Amino acid sequence: MKAMNRRKLITASAVLAIVGLAATAIPAQAAEVGVSSTEIKLGMTLPMTGTASLGYNKIPGAAKAYFDYLNANGGINGRKVTLVVKDDRYVPTEAVSKTNELILKDKVMALMAPLGTANVKAVASSVNPARRGVPVLFVNTGFSGFADTKKYPTTYTVLPSYVMEAKIMGQYIKENFAGKKIGLLYQDDDFGTDALAGFKTAGVDFAVKVAYASGSQGAAAAAGWITKFKAAEADVVILFGVSSATSAMLGTAAQLKYAPQWMLGSVGGDATTIKLTGVPAGVLYNAIGFSPVPATTDMKDEYVKLFSDIYAKAFPGSAFDLNVLLGMNTAFMTAQALKAAGQNPTRKSLMAAIDSKGATFANSALVPAGYSATSHVGLTGYWVGKYSPTGDLAPVGGTYVAYTTDSGAGAVVKSTYKRPAMPAKGLPN
Amino acid sequence: MHKRHNSSHIIPFILGGVVLYFISGIVDELRVYQGASIAVYVVAISSIILLTGYSGQVSLGNGALMAVGAYAAAVSHITWHFPIVLSFFVAVLAAALGGALLGAAAARLTGPYLAGTTLALAIGLPSLANQFSILGGEQGLLFDVGFPPLSLGESFTQYKWFFWIAALATLIMMWLLQNILRSRYGRTWRAGRGNEVAAQLSGINTGRSKILAFTLSAGLAGLAGAMLSMTIGTVSPSAFPLALSFSLLTGAVLSGITTLGGVMIGAVTLVAIPEVADVLAHRLGSSESVTTNLPGLMVSALLIVTVLFVPNGPVEQHRARAAKKLAQK
Repeated sequence: MKAMNRRKLITASAVLAIVGLAATAIPAQAAEVGVSSTEIKLGMTLPMTGTASLGYNKIPGAAKAYFDYLNANGGINGRKVTLVVKDDRYVPTEAVSKTNELILKDKVMALMAPLGTANVKAVASSVNPARRGVPVLFVNTGFSGFADTKKYPTTYTVLPSYVMEAKIMGQYIKENFAGKKIGLLYQDDDFGTDALAGFKTAGVDFAVKVAYASGSQGAAAAAGWITKFKAAEADVVILFGVSSATSAMLGTAAQLKYAPQWMLGSVGGDATTIKLTGVPAGVLYNAIGFSPVPATTDMKDEYVKLFSDIYAKAFPGSAFDLNVLLGMNTAFMTAQALKAAGQNPTRKSLMAAIDSKGATFANSALVPAGYSATSHVGLTGYWVGKYSPTGDLAPVGGTYVAYTTDSGAGAVVKSTYKRPAMPAKGLPN
Repeated sequence: MHKRHNSSHIIPFILGGVVLYFISGIVDELRVYQGASIAVYVVAISSIILLTGYSGQVSLGNGALMAVGAYAAAVSHITWHFPIVLSFFVAVLAAALGGALLGAAAARLTGPYLAGTTLALAIGLPSLANQFSILGGEQGLLFDVGFPPLSLGESFTQYKWFFWIAALATLIMMWLLQNILRSRYGRTWRAGRGNEVAAQLSGINTGRSKILAFTLSAGLAGLAGAMLSMTIGTVSPSAFPLALSFSLLTGAVLSGITTLGGVMIGAVTLVAIPEVADVLAHRLGSSESVTTNLPGLMVSALLIVTVLFVPNGPVEQHRARAAKKLAQK
């Protein structure tokens, strides 16, 4: 009898599960997935909760704020742009399930700005947006490998690659710190591999290199790093890590009164995020920093002015920082791609639009974009600045000096790029 | 009574397989993917139920053993080009070996000490992958089981293929496990869990019995790990966070930790919660922070309710009530 009951229960729970699985009907499809007569639907996965979400969780709000502004001004040919956001907690398993939901359930037209190298890779392998023909616009990682159009045919990068950044840092070091002892903190994965490749091309000799495993960064680890940098008597210390690593390092250094010339990589260099963790602004003072877009405090810049106004209306009291600016800039570029994709945009016409016109899309960056029929490379350089006494990155002497290069063996050159004027009201034209 | 064979019949499992086969043909791709995830959870939760529910040992380190299995499968597949079936076996063996080593230590520990040891493992082990370049560091390895055979037709999706592999592995595993639990081993485990001294007095080597439970449980976890990395296409340390070990334990408690019968409940709940939360948040039109935190809240609430009202799980509760009714008659 007992055995009977158990079997009944197993059967019952199996049936329940099956009914649950089968319960959802398949929604009807429009001419193009994610595009209706009134709406264009995009999807985004990124960490919204958990330790890795710090700073990045402002990106969806920023992008949505821009799209709301766009929609209030007529949208894209009368269609509203909506963004479905899913939290992946920076776990590849979650990134895959959430992306599946975006593509298969929410039926988005394209993925926008998914974050994190490992996650984008897992999604490319399991969900395989390329095989499904789903565009992956402007991935939020600087890993140079994503520009490989053979491996990732539907993926477009936007941030300058880590290789480019390391090469530009190397150039700056040659010009300004010749003969000094250089130390490097880097993340022990593709992020760091890219950086090492760039420094090698630039010909930088390090007195000391300290690698950390992602997830291991914290105050205790930072004390260990400092010991190594001190032992090697490094004059300049480059922090080529994520925000949490930069913050841990600067916070601990402040306590231990360790103050070399800091050089912060753009990934972990957002001042607001660093200061949020309790690092005093003074520690950042005079550190060298890199950014492709204007200083977030530069209200003379038409993009910064407009974007910060839009953001302040959507999120009163929330600081306008680099994550916000980049998020809105990506949304703005996406809007132009959609507009350029024609009256009735399809996934194919969207990608064709970026291939043919992407390099001319208006955006706030002070360096050119590299899109073409054969290249999915986004922005191609950085301007170099210093952090102010209040801890904000600003150009030295008030003028932006930008460098541009590629992810290969190409030289680092001073950029002659003149940013075109912003289209009227910051709307795609 | 003794006429009936004490082993579990294979027929229900075959029938289950046939049912699943037909279902995989009618539901959409997302459900098929979720079905594969449920299969992963079923195996992973069974591993906890075997260890905790039957042999009475606590482990918070299942995620780590899953990682061992996943890496073993990926390395054997990538480096040594093992066929996928074989690499699944390698996953089971590698994790079981790890489990045996851990079990040998664990047999000397009980309660909070064992929990602490396995917790340390869950935190530390996955990041070990960063130390060996063959394991691909933080970015991990691609684990590609390949496209479904062409003979299945052009419209046969990758996820359906994953689901078939996962469902088949799960059915076979569950059948084996069911039989093991009904065998002498199952009884010695339960005896040891009930009263270790009494079990020893009746001639059971409880130390050995515990190590065996740990080994088997680890093997199951290894299989679950290999299945998980198959469905996400990669193996990386961040795929096995501490949160995974905890959510599996939650799944086991929701399933009813002392019985294998409810394992589907926990597995389905873990997969369904985020979706239910999503729908709920949409209905309520709530803000982003509510939407992102709702799944965690719902799981926690369910856990509390389960522990308060059905501490042994809904299945065991139902069975106890039925038995009581029967006795009253």
